[in-house]
Amino acid sequence: MSQTNIVAAAANAARPEGGVGRQYLVFTLNSETFAIDILQIREIIEFGELTSVPMTPPTVRGVINLRGAVVPVIDLSARFGRGSARVGRRSCIVIVEVDTESGTQTLGVMVDGVNEVLEIPAADIEPAPAFGARIRTDFIAGMARIDDRFVILLDVSRVLSVDEISALGSLAATPPSLN
Amino acid sequence: MDLSQALATFLDESRDLLAQMEEILLRAETSDLAPEDMHALFRCAHTIKGSAGLFGLDVVVRFTHGVENVLDRLRNGEIVFTDALINLLLESQDHIARLVHAVAASDALPEDEGGPLLERLQAFNNDFDGRAGDMVKACETERVEVDVASGIAIGAEHWHLSLRFGPDVLRNGMDPLAFINYLRSLGDIVHVETITDAVPELFAGDPEACHLGFEIALRSAAEKAEIEAVFEFVQDAATITIVPPCARIDAFIALIDALGEDPRRLGEILVACGSVTERELFQALADQHLATDPAPIGELLIERAAVQPRVVEAALGKQKSAEERRGGEGKSVKVPADRLDALIDQVGELVIAGAATQLHAQRTTNPDLQEVASNLLRLVEDVRDTALRLRMTPIGEVFNRFPRVVRDVSRELGKEIELVISGAEAELDKSMVERIGDPLMHLVRNAIDHGIEGPAQRLDASKPARGTLNLNAYHESGSIVIEVADDGKGLDAERIFAKAVERGLVAPDAQLSTAEIHRLILEPGFSTASEVTSLSGRGVGMDVVKSNVEALRGTLDISSEPGRGTTMRLCLPLTLAIIDGFQVGVSGSTFILPLDTVVECIELPSDAQGGGYLRLRDKVLPFVDLREMFGLEDEPCPARQNVVVVRFAGRQAGIAVDELLGECQTVIKPLGRLFERVAGIAGSTILGTGEVALILDVPQLVQRAITNEGRERSTAAQSSASIA
Repeated sequence: MSQTNIVAAAANAARPEGGVGRQYLVFTLNSETFAIDILQIREIIEFGELTSVPMTPPTVRGVINLRGAVVPVIDLSARFGRGSARVGRRSCIVIVEVDTESGTQTLGVMVDGVNEVLEIPAADIEPAPAFGARIRTDFIAGMARIDDRFVILLDVSRVLSVDEISALGSLAATPPSLN
Repeated sequence: MDLSQALATFLDESRDLLAQMEEILLRAETSDLAPEDMHALFRCAHTIKGSAGLFGLDVVVRFTHGVENVLDRLRNGEIVFTDALINLLLESQDHIARLVHAVAASDALPEDEGGPLLERLQAFNNDFDGRAGDMVKACETERVEVDVASGIAIGAEHWHLSLRFGPDVLRNGMDPLAFINYLRSLGDIVHVETITDAVPELFAGDPEACHLGFEIALRSAAEKAEIEAVFEFVQDAATITIVPPCARIDAFIALIDALGEDPRRLGEILVACGSVTERELFQALADQHLATDPAPIGELLIERAAVQPRVVEAALGKQKSAEERRGGEGKSVKVPADRLDALIDQVGELVIAGAATQLHAQRTTNPDLQEVASNLLRLVEDVRDTALRLRMTPIGEVFNRFPRVVRDVSRELGKEIELVISGAEAELDKSMVERIGDPLMHLVRNAIDHGIEGPAQRLDASKPARGTLNLNAYHESGSIVIEVADDGKGLDAERIFAKAVERGLVAPDAQLSTAEIHRLILEPGFSTASEVTSLSGRGVGMDVVKSNVEALRGTLDISSEPGRGTTMRLCLPLTLAIIDGFQVGVSGSTFILPLDTVVECIELPSDAQGGGYLRLRDKVLPFVDLREMFGLEDEPCPARQNVVVVRFAGRQAGIAVDELLGECQTVIKPLGRLFERVAGIAGSTILGTGEVALILDVPQLVQRAITNEGRERSTAAQSSASIA
């Protein structure tokens, strides 16, 4: 483990922009702070026109037009089981790319606001606690210590698992009246 | 030179040629082949061999050479087609295909497998007298018939060649004498007459021009094409007429007529060559003089030809179709599919941008802008249509693989089946063509395996022993319909029902119509064949076909009559990219219905709200209320709702919406895997405003409306029954 870190650090140091560790986007959701590895983020856009898709679970907020491509938007608050997110002045959609078996899927993630891009040294990242984080443990990639407080680093591939979310969708799409 | 590109061309070409070989070989099974087919067959193998040689694919060359030898003997009439030989050639063709495939995948070439095949082919190559026994063993079938008589038996007659070299021949570096010398390689030259009539007086003419003509009598066993090939290089610069042996005097008259020289002089030359007897010539010329019109030879010939108008028509038709084919080849351009896809995508964006422009223009009060915008939109629509047509491919591309399948499968099962293909020219989007192959294959195999009975069983049912399988395609209201119809035993509704009960798919006391029972075979895990054959009946059958078809936004319909046969009807959209849509609004959201499914729009009667059915011109029309079904309650229900009457697969249903917004161009954007299990939504599109609108899945909605209605009816029936 430590050896890989050294290699990664060396690789980072070799780059002109330099630095130790990786860069993370820190954002707020329900007044909690989370972070996502920036390599998975394509862009951040303002929360705007959104079309909701009927008969989908609250986790799927709807779809947006991202320069001609139709991109689904996930309501992270609903995904964490804390009710639908409220649209505020700082609400944004973070566009991420998730690798799936059938190729890369582009998804939007609705958050209350983005704060900053931080470089977090690998040494400051600790493994996920077994309990107490108030979200599913498998969603957590690690806990990062920033300014003496902990920020949850999200495992995007788990949080935005297309298989899991679409399975939720099929439950909702089968109304009891059909059979 | 980039060899990989050339190799790709070779692979493409080889696949085409192999398909052609297969097609001809299959035809050989049922009817005698025309000589040009034999040549085509030979040419296919020959071209593959030659091209493979260029790339140093020795294994391909070696194997194809063996095939080519047999085909050469075939076309020379030294051996004739038998079932065994056709089988062997088909296997060989498969093997070449495997080799080519291996080249494409840069795998090691499967050399060993070719060995036994080559040995069997060799049996046909060797002198048949001595090897007849071996041959029989090798082919494991009946004796191979060999047509000895049609060999190189040329009588006293010979070919007659009439050459008139053009003035440029010498300048182009050709020597007429060289051609005549080369002719000797094909046979014996019996007689040559040199025609010097066109030679100008000394010093008067251009010394570099050629003025010579020759009349040549050639005794040869060669084919006309081979003789023609001798003159390949001067074809354009010379007039070459080749009259076959034993030709009728007409041919010579035509020759005389065509050359426009003094007929008597030419006639004498012909007599000198021994091609025509004096008496024949005299008779023909006398005929000519007898006629009232002074120069009627052409007409005379036509008159004579009219004796057998059908022969002439057939010849003309053949010539024409060959020319058309050749013309078609020259006019088509091969374009990589991804470039075409990129173009379609861009046109899609253009359509959206055009719609947006139109929308904004309409909001202004500037009539010029409005006019320009609507012109622009019209042009963009034209571009869209043309772009989509680029991707249109005839369905025949898929159908072509079935003759072989039907042949192989029916043999394996000991059934006699004739495949009738019609409508192969109906076109649909290339992406559809690629994806429809597997479902169709399944339906065809099913029809052969389960549908059509064995010959004995058919005769018992007083049907012809030979079953018929019809593959038919036609366009119908913006869709393409593909039918797979057999004249077999039809679906056994009782057995299907029993099986469905056994599998727990339906309740034993369920009351189902025959059509509903037929649809049970589309349920997952259903298979009626009592014994599992290698072809079908593994339980992963019709439900997979159905879901594949539905993934293409199509439907699968079954109609079957016991003892008369079964027809599977696939109804598919022509393209997956762009459709004409009809926009409707429900509670502030916009939805799109494919326009070709919309029949009419009516006002929703106030007593029929909330789903169910309504009365439309004295007929019951089941309908779904989108507001209720999708749970859209953001905005209050308007006082007046509308119903869009939609039709799909012969069924009608209504969809209740708040407002009707009119037609629009709709570029279909896939919604992705996240939404693939959402019922009622087929896809999405981007409106002129930039907003995303969802495209409704009409088949699912219709199905839903009908199940609703059926359930209400059955509850009504039950309640009335309980009252009685």
